[in-house]
Amino acid sequence: MTNESTNEDPTRPAFAGENRTRTAKESAIKWFLFACAALSVFVTLAIVATLLFDAVEFFTRVSPVAFFTGTTWSPKIGESFGVLPLVSNTLAVTVLSALVAIPVGTASAAYLSEYATERTRSVLKPALEVLAGIPTVVYGFFALVYVTPALRAVGVPVGTFNLLSASLMVGVMIIPMVSSLSEDAMSAVPDSLRQGAYGLGATKFEVTTTVVIPASISGVFSSFILALSRAIGETMIVVVAAGMSPQLVPSPFDSVQPMTSAMVQLSTSDLAGGTAAYYALFAIGLTLFVITFSMNVASNWVASRYREEYE
Amino acid sequence: MATERSTDGESWYGTDEGVNQLRGRLFEWGCLGAMLFGIAMVFALLAYVALDAIRPLTADPGWHLVFFLTLVAPTTALVGYYARRDRQAGWVGATATALPAFCLLVGSGVALLLVEVVQPIEWFGTTLALLVAAGIVYAHRRFRARPAEFERTLVAVATLAFAVVGVPGAIPSLSRLLQNAPLALNHATMMLYSFAAPVAILAGVVVARRRESRRDGGVAAVLTFVGGVLAVVTAPTVGISDHLLVVVGLSVAVPTALYVEAVVRRRDNLAGLALPVVAYAGMFVGAAAVAALGFAGPEAWLDWQFLTRAHSRFAEEAGIYPALVGSIMMMLVVVVSAFPVGVAAALYLEEYAPDGGTAGRVVGLIETNIANLAGVPSVVYGLLGLALFIRYADMNTGSVVVGGLTVGLLILPIVIISSQEAVRAVPDSMRRASYGMGATKWQTVRNVVLPEALPGILTGSILAFGRAIGETAPLLMIGAAAVVFSPPSSFTEKFSAMPRQIFAWSHEPAGEFRYGVLAAGVITLLVVLLSMNAAAILVRNKYQRRS
Repeated sequence: MTNESTNEDPTRPAFAGENRTRTAKESAIKWFLFACAALSVFVTLAIVATLLFDAVEFFTRVSPVAFFTGTTWSPKIGESFGVLPLVSNTLAVTVLSALVAIPVGTASAAYLSEYATERTRSVLKPALEVLAGIPTVVYGFFALVYVTPALRAVGVPVGTFNLLSASLMVGVMIIPMVSSLSEDAMSAVPDSLRQGAYGLGATKFEVTTTVVIPASISGVFSSFILALSRAIGETMIVVVAAGMSPQLVPSPFDSVQPMTSAMVQLSTSDLAGGTAAYYALFAIGLTLFVITFSMNVASNWVASRYREEYE
Repeated sequence: MATERSTDGESWYGTDEGVNQLRGRLFEWGCLGAMLFGIAMVFALLAYVALDAIRPLTADPGWHLVFFLTLVAPTTALVGYYARRDRQAGWVGATATALPAFCLLVGSGVALLLVEVVQPIEWFGTTLALLVAAGIVYAHRRFRARPAEFERTLVAVATLAFAVVGVPGAIPSLSRLLQNAPLALNHATMMLYSFAAPVAILAGVVVARRRESRRDGGVAAVLTFVGGVLAVVTAPTVGISDHLLVVVGLSVAVPTALYVEAVVRRRDNLAGLALPVVAYAGMFVGAAAVAALGFAGPEAWLDWQFLTRAHSRFAEEAGIYPALVGSIMMMLVVVVSAFPVGVAAALYLEEYAPDGGTAGRVVGLIETNIANLAGVPSVVYGLLGLALFIRYADMNTGSVVVGGLTVGLLILPIVIISSQEAVRAVPDSMRRASYGMGATKWQTVRNVVLPEALPGILTGSILAFGRAIGETAPLLMIGAAAVVFSPPSSFTEKFSAMPRQIFAWSHEPAGEFRYGVLAAGVITLLVVLLSMNAAAILVRNKYQRRS
């Protein structure tokens, strides 16, 4: 063995030396990095565990049947915990905001992907992204202080707190989600398809509506689902501008209370730790989490399951 | 080819059957109109808030005229010139103008921490102790030839422990020793030693590396320190405490000077440096002229007293100061907790994660999980924080640490995903070159991948931090205070943050709050956010032009 002498040889650096500690260090670093990545799994588990734990505690006090089928929500007075009005109001916000975001978002995506020149794109795309960067509490403030009076000025009979202006702002907020994900899907459609259609004599309009959009429909739909799940979980806009009175059948001009808003009201109103109202917080949280999480999963599934594969 | 030359505007595809372009045109304009509707609506609302917060119409017409002549007209002309003739110089100019403003924000943030949270003596002790520790580690590596990896790590950990922690009950830490030492320094001298000196060393090292000249590095270091001394000397005329002026002044001057030096040394786009000169000179000349001529400025809601006072029942006296400090402290916790973990996770997923087999499936699961976590509503993260940190870990309700950790968890998936993209963009050839030179995996990651991906990582992370500073719902869940009258003096105290304060003000029905104080608060929040986004864009542009 000449190993001993090579280490002493000054012209040869000791690559092989300290091998054991170096390997140990390398693998220690690897495991540390892995731990950081695995933290995300821990976060998910922690969310599920804490929500489930306290929701179960809640359901020992209030029966699940009463929770999921009850039609009045009044946790303080009378202690009736029917979640249906909250769900119906969340649904109303989601539908109304979708009416704003889906047409505008899809149209923006189609324009950016098919019509816009490089120059207009470089201006319009960041401008759209600004909409996603504004904090939601600011959108709530817009809805309360500017949109509602503006709606009144044009003759819409809205109250101080109302479903309509809050949903409008939620809709505006999620436009960039729809547009950027849909645009990615539309840009991913290979040019050969467009050229084929042009070759058959199609106009640009026909190419866009009958080739590009159908070819990218899975991506477009998955962006809708993601945006709607965002609207369902949206909190500050509805808390600030939609009011605090749950209605089983919501009217767009009146005050309502979606699930997120009810959670905020419960948590900010000095709850004693062990009451049913405190645990109701987690029961609603669990409902919300299950809905949004399954919508996210569904969005991924739609995107991969119905993707048109080219090439 | 005869059809091409046909008369009466007939086209090649027929004589009487033209293609109706109306439908297509309507569709195109409809799409554009829809998009512009959304954008225009939000920008109009932003303009409304800005008008309400600043109330420019309450100023004298003369005030507007003076500032138009000194500031608006020259900068607009210059920007117009850049846009038409010299875009590269325009970018240099924008960076050179934005950098001091951004550094002023960061420097003021550090200064606020020094006022409210960290005593100058604590800062002094800790910084000097860390400096000594770094010196020992450096000397050990330098003078002990070829030490084993193990020994290096041991020395580093031991010196660090000695510097900050000490041995509880037996040996006090160096930091504690320095704090208790009978030095009789005043605050200004302490900051000179513990802020100006490290910054001077840093600036010196940067300049020495860039110019490949130790002498220039030395000059830069000495100049920086002299600048610090100068700040102490001129502090009485400026009207800020001298130790704070050292911090603010150096954090503005040093990065700006380094950037200008780089531009001048490379001699490219020197014309860009005209923009900051014109803009800042215009501002000062305008201010001086307005004061001399006696024109009154606008009676803005967003003014110095709004930024420096606490909430009050009277709109005229209400301010955002405690919430501002709370936000800064919370962001500190967010950055310290989410950034390293997020980058580490991204490095694992991109560099180390196995592809196939059971391990590969586990990694795939982690990635899906991260994508799904990014879609969990923020209010649910608030519940997680409430249960995890307050109930199980028994931290204080609504304290800065709880808020920061909760929001940190919230933005962690965003940091991971954007860092992953940046790491993925590093070309494989660079990794192979590093392996070819005998580097280990970690050496490759640390010396090649990480520096190359850093601008991308920073861009994505700064955007994520921008989201963090505007988050409100988690703060409501963990019980951050609606109104605090003094900023938190430690990280375990109850705090309020800017968005939380805005939410509290939205309950006030009076018009002065709705259209005044609230608007000013919103503008403050948006300015902080906007400058963070601008920083991210500048980092991205610098990076794109280099590659």
